[in-house]
Amino acid sequence: MENKESLKIRNLIKYFHEPETFQVLKGVSFEVKKGEFLSIVGKSGSGKSTLLYVLSTMDTDYEGTLQINGDLLTGKTQNQLAAFRNEHIGFVFQFHYLLPEFSCLQNVMLPALKLGKYSTKEIEHKAYESLRLLDIEDQALKSANKLSGGQQQRVAIARALINNPSIIMSDEPTGNLDSKNTQAVLDIFKGLAKENGQTIICVTHDTDFANKTDRTIEMADGLII
Amino acid sequence: MAKSVNIQIASVHLTSKFWQTFVAIMGVTFGVSMYIFMNSFMNGVNKTQDDLAFSALSHIRIYNQDNNHSYNPIESEYDNSRTVFNIHNRKSIQYTSGIKNSSGIVSLVEKQEEVVAVARQINFSVFFRSGSKKINGRVSGIELEPEDKLFKSSETVTQGNWNNLQTHKSGIIIGKLLAKDLGLQVNSSINVLTSDGVSKNYIIVGIFESSIKEIDKTKAYLNITAARQLLGENSDYASDILINIKDRDYTAPVVKKLGLLIPLQIESWQEANEQLVAGASLRNVIAIAVSFTILLVAGFGIYNIMNMTINEKIKEIAILKATGFSGKDIKSIFLSQAGAIGLLGGFLGVVLGYLISLLINQVPFNVASLETLPIYFRVQDFVLAVVFGLLTTLIAGYLPSKKAARVDPVTIIRG
Ligand SMILES: Nc1ncnc2c1ncn2[C@@H]1O[C@H](COP(=O)(O)OP(=O)(O)OP(=O)(O)O)[C@@H](O)[C@H]1O
Ligand SMILES: [Mg+2]
Repeated sequence: MENKESLKIRNLIKYFHEPETFQVLKGVSFEVKKGEFLSIVGKSGSGKSTLLYVLSTMDTDYEGTLQINGDLLTGKTQNQLAAFRNEHIGFVFQFHYLLPEFSCLQNVMLPALKLGKYSTKEIEHKAYESLRLLDIEDQALKSANKLSGGQQQRVAIARALINNPSIIMSDEPTGNLDSKNTQAVLDIFKGLAKENGQTIICVTHDTDFANKTDRTIEMADGLII
Repeated sequence: MAKSVNIQIASVHLTSKFWQTFVAIMGVTFGVSMYIFMNSFMNGVNKTQDDLAFSALSHIRIYNQDNNHSYNPIESEYDNSRTVFNIHNRKSIQYTSGIKNSSGIVSLVEKQEEVVAVARQINFSVFFRSGSKKINGRVSGIELEPEDKLFKSSETVTQGNWNNLQTHKSGIIIGKLLAKDLGLQVNSSINVLTSDGVSKNYIIVGIFESSIKEIDKTKAYLNITAARQLLGENSDYASDILINIKDRDYTAPVVKKLGLLIPLQIESWQEANEQLVAGASLRNVIAIAVSFTILLVAGFGIYNIMNMTINEKIKEIAILKATGFSGKDIKSIFLSQAGAIGLLGGFLGVVLGYLISLLINQVPFNVASLETLPIYFRVQDFVLAVVFGLLTTLIAGYLPSKKAARVDPVTIIRG
């Protein structure tokens, strides 16, 4: 793939005001290329998750600028950002968040149903494909709260893939997985980056995992080192 | 497409919390059914009251009480002149009240399109006498057919026959209690004494029983021609002209129109019977107050349940927003839950309200003309009940939904 820019941040600064004013991000700048597999590492509390929430467009309370696919997202309204996330960003949370009253299949399908680009039949087909990719197809019709932590994690990854987002962001995607499944997720992400040109940004504690990615950024005290 | 996802999510929320949903629906059901029952019951009461009242009351009455005319022939003759006049022994002569040329007025009235029936009457006070008994009462000289059309009077005749008045020149139909008090039956003779001292004997050709005791005790019917003879009036005389129109609630425009054509007193039933109007309005106010109170309570219940649901589901709302659902989507998810509760509750409320009303309609209640408690259904009450039920739920659901729409996903997901 060409060297097109996928994501670019300039001088991100963020404060938390509770319980006391505290600067979490102290001016972070970097670019990620299209189809690049980036990992972010760093000590606990260094601001990795906070940064990822800003990148995901969910957190809008920051200074600096955020661009994705050339679009300046800083300053857009919540509804515009929601629509953007739906189409362009797949997100895997640090704690696997699924909707407990829905089946795994429905959990995976929902973002695609919201996007409304394809028919329900096509979406269901695609959701099964995603689940199969993560080797969890057999649990498709189970309600999400009846799965183990690792299984839920994989369903959450399947959900992040459903709309073919241009960027997939994940916070500790392998935190609950055994080595076999960790390897599988790594292979999946690598494949998506290489074959589909999807950009992957992973926050991780696992140095082995980070070493196998295209590039690693290390954070400490709200700065890149 | 996006809309149908929202509805899908809403329906999962509703079905996964069955009891909560059930309680919310029951609240609406109860409110709507009470609205229907209270209004149908009050309508029944109003209708019974009206039926009673209109068995002796026409929508519009034309009469002539010649007590406010001050006719001065000399002044009108010599108006604006310089003549000096001197009057000796000025006397007031009594002008007869009543309508001398009634057929002209009847044909004028009949031309109005709103009018459905017109009947002339001659009403006057008399003494009914039989043997040594003497009872104060009133005679109505009536035209058989129009009178029956207005008041269905023939149906009240329990012995003898209404039409006997046509065939028997000296026939009279008297009230049941009057007959009892005088100790008379059909075919007995009865003496009637007018206030002018004229007395005449009649044969009882019928006995009637209306639903109003006072009338049964004091009233008698004569053919209008017999009444004219008794009073010595001309053959076109009437004391009252009674009119029924298509819609008795809209007497005012008809009264106004007739007023321009006819120089007599014209009175609507509303003017003559303010207590009837007031009673009906008061009952309606009570019905509406009770049903709205219930709907309000149901509304608070739904508000609470929705708020609870949203607090419970705040994590899920955050996930939906993180994966691309907008605030508007979230709002529509929760509003459609409220809407579904309102619709289902409204539907069940209609059924329940109808059943309760039917049940109450079976409760024995033997007063006046009634046998059971009265119920009267109107389509508009059912429609309004559903509309108000739905409105209550949507208003009760609106604030919590707005709160849900404002949930900030990062704050929740960060933990
Ligand atoms: N809601 C919050 N309010 C105040 N301070 C916060 C809040 N969330 C996080 N912090 C603080 O911000 C800093 C960065 O937190 P963050 O979650 O980004 O760390 P992290 O690098 O993801 O750590 P970990 O590897 O443990 O997940 C921490 O010192 C944390 O205490
Ligand atoms: Mg973290």
